[in-house]
Amino acid sequence: MAQFVIPDRERTRQMRYRMGFALADLADENEDIVALDADLRSSTGLHIFDHFHPDKLVKTGIAEQNLVAMAAGLAQEGYIPFPCTFDAFCRRYMDQLYITVAYSNLNVKVLGAYVGLFTGKAGATHQSDKELGLLLRIPNLRVVEPGCNLEMEQALHCAAQTPGPFYLRIVRCEVEDNELWDGYEFELGRGVTVLDDGADVGLVCTGYMVKTARIAAQKLARRGIKVRLDHHPTLKPFDRALLYDLAEKVPAIVTLENHCVSGGLYSLVAEALAEVGAGLPVTAVGTDPEDFIHTGHVNDLLHHYRMTSEHVVEKVIQTLRLAGDS
Amino acid sequence: MTTTLDPLDFSSWWAPFREDTRPRWDCLPHHEDYADLLENCETLAYLIRSYTVYSMTCAALGHPGGSFSEAEFLAVLYNYALRFDPSEPRWPMRDVFYLSKCHACPGLYAVLAMFGYFPMQDLSGYGSWESHLESHPDWNTTPGIEISGGSLGQIPGVAVGRALGMRRRGPEHYDRMVYVLIGDGECNEGAVWEAFMAAGHYGLDNLVFVIDSNKVQAKGFVSRDMAIEPLADKLGAFNLDVYETRNGHDVGELVDLFTVLPQQRRGRPLAVILNTVKGKKVGQCQFNPNWHTSAPRSIEAAGEWLEELWLTDGRRLGIPPEFPAALTEAIDIVPPAHENPDDISEAQA
Repeated sequence: MAQFVIPDRERTRQMRYRMGFALADLADENEDIVALDADLRSSTGLHIFDHFHPDKLVKTGIAEQNLVAMAAGLAQEGYIPFPCTFDAFCRRYMDQLYITVAYSNLNVKVLGAYVGLFTGKAGATHQSDKELGLLLRIPNLRVVEPGCNLEMEQALHCAAQTPGPFYLRIVRCEVEDNELWDGYEFELGRGVTVLDDGADVGLVCTGYMVKTARIAAQKLARRGIKVRLDHHPTLKPFDRALLYDLAEKVPAIVTLENHCVSGGLYSLVAEALAEVGAGLPVTAVGTDPEDFIHTGHVNDLLHHYRMTSEHVVEKVIQTLRLAGDS
Repeated sequence: MTTTLDPLDFSSWWAPFREDTRPRWDCLPHHEDYADLLENCETLAYLIRSYTVYSMTCAALGHPGGSFSEAEFLAVLYNYALRFDPSEPRWPMRDVFYLSKCHACPGLYAVLAMFGYFPMQDLSGYGSWESHLESHPDWNTTPGIEISGGSLGQIPGVAVGRALGMRRRGPEHYDRMVYVLIGDGECNEGAVWEAFMAAGHYGLDNLVFVIDSNKVQAKGFVSRDMAIEPLADKLGAFNLDVYETRNGHDVGELVDLFTVLPQQRRGRPLAVILNTVKGKKVGQCQFNPNWHTSAPRSIEAAGEWLEELWLTDGRRLGIPPEFPAALTEAIDIVPPAHENPDDISEAQA
């Protein structure tokens, strides 16, 4: 895709582009919606928003701190700003997000693009697999990581409708339109059970990894291992009730996230289960918190960090062995 | 000395100059009220300093240096330039004042209380547990505060977004002004310059960056820790129209300047360099980084400051001689809500 080309909406499955269309739709309906761009619009998908609403895109230049600060000021005048840059650069405006936006409880909807390993070979500086460690600990902030385009569109709509600060993690790559079911409706703060074939093992996923988890579940089924798969598009507030229900029904849990295995989904799950003394083994699929992720094709990265469906199968078998030993 | 004077009731010596703070005022030197306005602003600045000493000492907390350097600016802004309504703090047509150097909030809390945003009695709770007057302001709890902050350099960018939002809302809202007070030391923060750049780019002429150039930052002198001069040239190079005061404590100069500023709608943002003295009017604090962060160490020390302020300003402005002593006597250092469990000792800065 050449820069600034507007893709065919019916054909593209890249979440970033579909986000650009979805946000433009929302701005058709709501005069108060504006987007802010820190000079990455044709990468993040905001160029599509710009195409439909050139008067509603505020350019801040390459200035991420000011991107979020200006969004805060616009929110105070009644606008619903969607500042958008690479998720990795939230490290540059974390304090603006923490104090100006979240402490003030302003109606700002941050879009983190290029989350996790999917950055198009951008390398260690652009990979964003550590950021949830802080994002999930900011009071007032709601954090959502949708797993398919339908869910992303519904989450955007929800963010626009719900007062207060939001952070949406948007993946760069192609995803399915619907990983869930016909008539699925995203509900803020609620996880959903995607598959419930039985109670041999629990998979808990968020964001892009719902796809990997589904493929892994099929492979496990062929080996006679029945999976219950829970998907948590909302990471904050986290749906502990669904997790506790799962923990009562399965002997072991494996978590899957497009993020490192500390500070994100795995930490949420482990903290919640430790608090109630759930004695089942819980292991994680995700990147290594001690690594800078070097440049490489995403296939190679997923293999290196053992994040493919094959690796999930392997991890499930290891984890069930742990459960059997205990 | 026991006295019957209630030092928190200032109504016998001071009332807001404007009966109605919603419309824009224009009071040039030939105006018959001009002399009254200047005296009223000087009295207000004096009372801001005195009540700041009071609240900081009650709290054993505070930033006197920056609160004293901004006193005349706050007095002229609230008494003359800013359009607002304490009975409706979020009146949609108000001008907006952001205090970006948030630590200097004791001065702002004093002026907000005096204009009736909240009771004067609240000032004694500044910084104490369960008071709405946070160490650094929280706009969700304190009426009259426009944003929560305390980490420097963030609010100038918010002001840019705010001014841009007003312009987008159309001429009626674009008539509103945004003022943001930035510390000179705060200009060390890169984000401040991102905001200047964006304001210049968007030509936001409803936005005024006011820099409290009091020459002293938290732990030293601005010129020695991280110099920002030539500040006027730098601001001009960012496409701002720059005004410099000869004396940022001269209310006459400030009234004249803040009469002119809202009329300068020429497609360029405005910047004002307030030439001030950190800790102004308390000899011990003036130009002294040691009093950036530190309340008076005792009620007696606060009493000396209050007496000094009265001798300098209160006396000539007709404040009764009993006032400083009565205010000193009213100081009650607020204890923690709970017992000291483990013999913890924590000294002030």
